[in-house]
Amino acid sequence: MYYFDHSATTPLHPNVKELMDEVGEHHFGNPSSVHVSGQKAKTFIESARRQMAKAIGCSSNEIIFTGGGTEANNLVLWNLIHQKKKHVITSVIEHPAVLNVLDNLEEFGVTYTAVRVDKTGMVNPDDVQNAITEKTSLMSVMLANNEMGTLQPIAEIAAIANKYKIIMHTDAVQTLGKIPVNSKELGVDCMSFSAHKFYGPKGVGALFIKKDLKLKPLIIGGNQERRMRAGTENTSGIAGLGLAAELATNNLHKTQSHLISLTHAFKAQITHICPEVIFNGHPEKQLPGLINVSFPGFRNDLLMIHLDRQGVAVSSGSACSSGDIKPSQILSSMGITDDINNSTLRISFGIDNSLQDMEYLIKCFKSTFERIRSAA
Amino acid sequence: MSEHIIVGMSGGVDSAVSALLLKEQGFDVECIFMKNWEEDSDYCTSEQDYKDALLVCDELGLPLKTVNFCNEYKERVFDYFLKEYAAGRTPNPDTLCNKEIKFKSFLNYALKLGANRIATGHYARLDQHNGTVLLHKGNDENKDQSYFLFMLNQYQLEKTIFPIGEMTKKDVRTLAKEKGLPNHDRKDSTGVCFIGERDFTEFLHQYFKPDPGEMITVDGKSVGRHDGLMFYTLGQRQGLGIGGGHGEKEAPWFVADKNLKDNILIVAQGHDHPDLFHSQLSVENVHWISDKSPSLKKLNAKIRYRQKDQSCSINISNDALIVVFKKPQFAVTPGQAVVFYDGDICLGGGTIENRN
Repeated sequence: MYYFDHSATTPLHPNVKELMDEVGEHHFGNPSSVHVSGQKAKTFIESARRQMAKAIGCSSNEIIFTGGGTEANNLVLWNLIHQKKKHVITSVIEHPAVLNVLDNLEEFGVTYTAVRVDKTGMVNPDDVQNAITEKTSLMSVMLANNEMGTLQPIAEIAAIANKYKIIMHTDAVQTLGKIPVNSKELGVDCMSFSAHKFYGPKGVGALFIKKDLKLKPLIIGGNQERRMRAGTENTSGIAGLGLAAELATNNLHKTQSHLISLTHAFKAQITHICPEVIFNGHPEKQLPGLINVSFPGFRNDLLMIHLDRQGVAVSSGSACSSGDIKPSQILSSMGITDDINNSTLRISFGIDNSLQDMEYLIKCFKSTFERIRSAA
Repeated sequence: MSEHIIVGMSGGVDSAVSALLLKEQGFDVECIFMKNWEEDSDYCTSEQDYKDALLVCDELGLPLKTVNFCNEYKERVFDYFLKEYAAGRTPNPDTLCNKEIKFKSFLNYALKLGANRIATGHYARLDQHNGTVLLHKGNDENKDQSYFLFMLNQYQLEKTIFPIGEMTKKDVRTLAKEKGLPNHDRKDSTGVCFIGERDFTEFLHQYFKPDPGEMITVDGKSVGRHDGLMFYTLGQRQGLGIGGGHGEKEAPWFVADKNLKDNILIVAQGHDHPDLFHSQLSVENVHWISDKSPSLKKLNAKIRYRQKDQSCSINISNDALIVVFKKPQFAVTPGQAVVFYDGDICLGGGTIENRN
């Protein structure tokens, strides 16, 4: 299979897989147990915490492990029910793991303002500032958008939040290993991550919570994770996350230049075979390796089936539970017409893609265009 | 290269066995799950259907894709469905769905993907006779679905295979079990596709406000109120809220007619009440599968799915088609389909316009 859907999920890094196998096989003790087996398991968790903390420039007691990015977002957002002020500022391009949570919080008195984005998919910090009310207690804006790849001006937004003593959260799941992510430089109070987006395992995530921020847990039970996330730890998953985070940040520059060169080459070659293509997103402030591209006149579900038959995995719109493709809400919110929306694909390269893989992708596009044109 | 067939997969056992048979016959088979209805509430069957289809295709080693025809369905089927109800009639969306979605949008989509023909899990059979494709009833008398297919034309049928038309439902299930298909014991779906197992009246209430009016007997006696004429179907027994006690006998009441002008529901007591029966009906939107109206004047008809064949004669003059039944028919319902047969050949049919 030729896999170009790394923004959806990534394959396990071989070193991560090796570590997880070892932990799963030999270090199965309960990390809360005091015997050697439990202690050893706890060591893996604590060293993963250091690795994750180092990756984003915070201290290790500011990291909580969760059951994924969605849970990390939920932990932050559900704290609103304990707040006196219950207004949130977010953006229209957030993941459902933010927007749907906020919709569900409405019955607990939470209201929110979702600021719009411009044609490049970017939030304007002025809009955020203008949305502040005396009831605003939280801002949640993603660091990079999963469909468009547009990088958001989080440091600027966080500065506004700080000025008004509003808690600043960012969903950063798309970013680790693709751009520098530093909690201090961003100035955020909390930040969500998901291991499977950076060559780690599925079902494990991390939440950065700044030292002086007091949050209540979402999942309550035993004393694990400083009582911020109860339940016996997923030792091998957490160990995998830690190593994946370390590898992602250690190799950041190499990965970036690899992804950028694949992106440039792809854009040049696809424009050559289909001159009418439209590249969506921001010309510069863009996640490396993510290309959101429209092929006017071609239905994206047809393109997907033809590509899939040739063993090529790309993505389109927001996949639904019945396997169909809906027009992307995010593209619509940027003012993109339904026709263009329904002809849009997302290609996201990863560290396992070679230049030859990318050339195979171009070849498949070429034959797909020819087949669809000849059938019409 | 073998013929490329795209099977419309529903998640049910009929389409699963259709795909299985085609694969065993050596066709190049691909499967597509059609999503025609967006769920606007928590009620969702399409997700479970898709998961069932996925497991079947995995077992068969066949690729599965989904296509979304929700917009097409809404524009070409559902809007008509609502319009008919608003006019006090009882439409049959399944016949229209076959004509407009399964055997038009889906067929075209499959051809674009390079398919030679499509296949579905309908209980019906096809054969060629002097260059005309004939639609026969399925061999399982109890499951025959030709009634729902009467709106199809020659082009649509030429491009179609019904792999299980020769089989009985029992054989289909046995084969599915034998071959280890995970949905072999899945419950048969009933009712209109987009409503599923939901309460039908409740569903209609999402789209129509109550419009209460008087309910009278066929003799003009007032017996209560109704919630709105669109919530009642001719011949319907339940839901009148008047029990049997209003007449001399304790027999149940049935909807006999609707007076749309004055918003009055007319009811009759007892299943055999003569006002519930009609021998003659007029037909609109007439369609003949062979493109030609039949030379036969005496044939059989069904005025509802799974009804036994009823002898009738037809009279065609100036675009009008009148059907006269040998025996009076219970609850002849405007908006429903009347479908004509010559033996086991489905000739075509139309929409019931009026009865007298």
